[in-house]
Amino acid sequence: MIPKQSIDELIYRSCMRLDAKDFSGFLELCDPAFRYSVTAFSPEIRKEMIWLEHDKAGLKLLFDNLPRHNSDHSPITRHVTVYTVEREGDAGNARVVSGLQVFKTALDGGETTLFAVGKLYDTVKLDGGTPLLVDRNVRLDTRMLGIGYHIPF
Amino acid sequence: MSRNAIQWHQKPGFPDTHYVDTSIYTSEELFREEQVKVFGKCWIIACHESELPNAFDYRTFQHPAGVPLIVVRGEDMKVRAFYNICPHRGNTLLYDPVGNAKRITCIFHAWSFDTKGSCTDISRGKEGYQERFKCEDAGLREVKASIGYGGFVWVNTDDESGSLQEYIGDALGMLEEHMNMPLEVFHYHKAVVDTNYKLWHDTNSEFYHDYMHYFNRITGMLQPGYFDRKYTGYPNGHASVGSMSVRYDKYEGSKNRSVGWPGLAPGGWILIDIFPGMTYNLRTSVLRMDTAIPLGPNKVVIEFRGLGLKSDTPAERAERIRDHNTIWGPFGRNLHEDLLGVHGQGIAMREGTDSKWVIHGREENMTIHDEGGMRHFYAEWSRRMGRKAYDPFGTNPGASPAPAKKLATA
Repeated sequence: MIPKQSIDELIYRSCMRLDAKDFSGFLELCDPAFRYSVTAFSPEIRKEMIWLEHDKAGLKLLFDNLPRHNSDHSPITRHVTVYTVEREGDAGNARVVSGLQVFKTALDGGETTLFAVGKLYDTVKLDGGTPLLVDRNVRLDTRMLGIGYHIPF
Repeated sequence: MSRNAIQWHQKPGFPDTHYVDTSIYTSEELFREEQVKVFGKCWIIACHESELPNAFDYRTFQHPAGVPLIVVRGEDMKVRAFYNICPHRGNTLLYDPVGNAKRITCIFHAWSFDTKGSCTDISRGKEGYQERFKCEDAGLREVKASIGYGGFVWVNTDDESGSLQEYIGDALGMLEEHMNMPLEVFHYHKAVVDTNYKLWHDTNSEFYHDYMHYFNRITGMLQPGYFDRKYTGYPNGHASVGSMSVRYDKYEGSKNRSVGWPGLAPGGWILIDIFPGMTYNLRTSVLRMDTAIPLGPNKVVIEFRGLGLKSDTPAERAERIRDHNTIWGPFGRNLHEDLLGVHGQGIAMREGTDSKWVIHGREENMTIHDEGGMRHFYAEWSRRMGRKAYDPFGTNPGASPAPAKKLATA
């Protein structure tokens, strides 16, 4: 059985690789069937919103296209705490809920500000030798992201 | 060749209509004046009717003239707007951005109002006021509200204003056939940016900045028909841009589009700017609405809405959401670039940076890279403000080198 520590480290490693803009390294942690989404609830329109949704290939395209776009180059840091890990009976998956805070650090002077808070809802595949992400929902509480950002959280 | 201080401050060699003094983006005095003379007189979009589907649904709105508003659908299903201010002790009446309230009751002293703005109860009124002050004296301040042009709820805080129809005129004619069915908001977010609201509206009024957007270069600028799109100006400062056939298939990852929009040719794109800070933007399968609400000379909150058809199937709605997010969501390719652009302008034009002029001098027969859309806006701005955008404080003396060409009007 894959120990909980390996599942925790998968979540942490995924954030560290995104922080480092090691996008291919991040995708190596994802199953071929990986799905990624950013969602939020808008009290203003009383609706669930999807702000970003990609499969693994779509996410790779997004990463590959980044150099072609003009972007805010301020680095972001994802602070994650794994809250719960629940293994699913025979499915060989685990559902992981983590707290997420995203900080942005200005290039000029290095001031760090809180950018967003939310949770990560991950599904981790456990039936291979190595745990892999098969689904990640970044569930944001923060809905005001200023000028926005090109790199998914 | 670089320029020295004198040259930097010299008026640009264009007609006076073709540049503006950057103090119009930085002056606190002008901002306060704009709240009265521009935002206090114009029809402004407060929300969309789909945000108030049921009787007693309400929505709060921070009006750019400064007043907080409640927009509420009455039992008679009519939408009305009131100041979100209790006439008793000036407290906020409704705190949540949205809700349903048969009675609007102030939490402070429990004065109550109905959805027609009438005061229905003053707590221990007779004991305290005897016959000197009654509910009839304590109604809410109502402002004009009208639903139209895609189901948006428009408000006007000027009791003497003309009708919404008079204000819009023919400006939204290009979109009429595309908005004659019920629409629904599926996306909403706000962005606060340290920049002037006019700079955001400028960005929505010129396409020369497509150089900033890889997505627009590859799917538009490099495609046939792009440079044929033309600006048309309308009374009251509104302007539209004609359509073209955008080649979405040219952007990797943006190839499969099938839902589209009723009446809009595949790849079609219609953009209409409504003075002073609203933009209808219809492309792919989504109508986007921007509403700019200035908070100060160098701070604006922009409300972004994405709309689809109320009749959408779940599959159709999902595709609209995907189309929207590709370029316009908070993580979209174009929106971040546009916001980055005006954010940069806000930094460069802060008070004291010695920025001086912004040039709107491109003339290309009113086609897509002509800057006539912005010139049209500033002609209206100058008319309403009673100030020249190129010389708002009368401190830039000097003759204009040439008479200005006018924007073709519909």
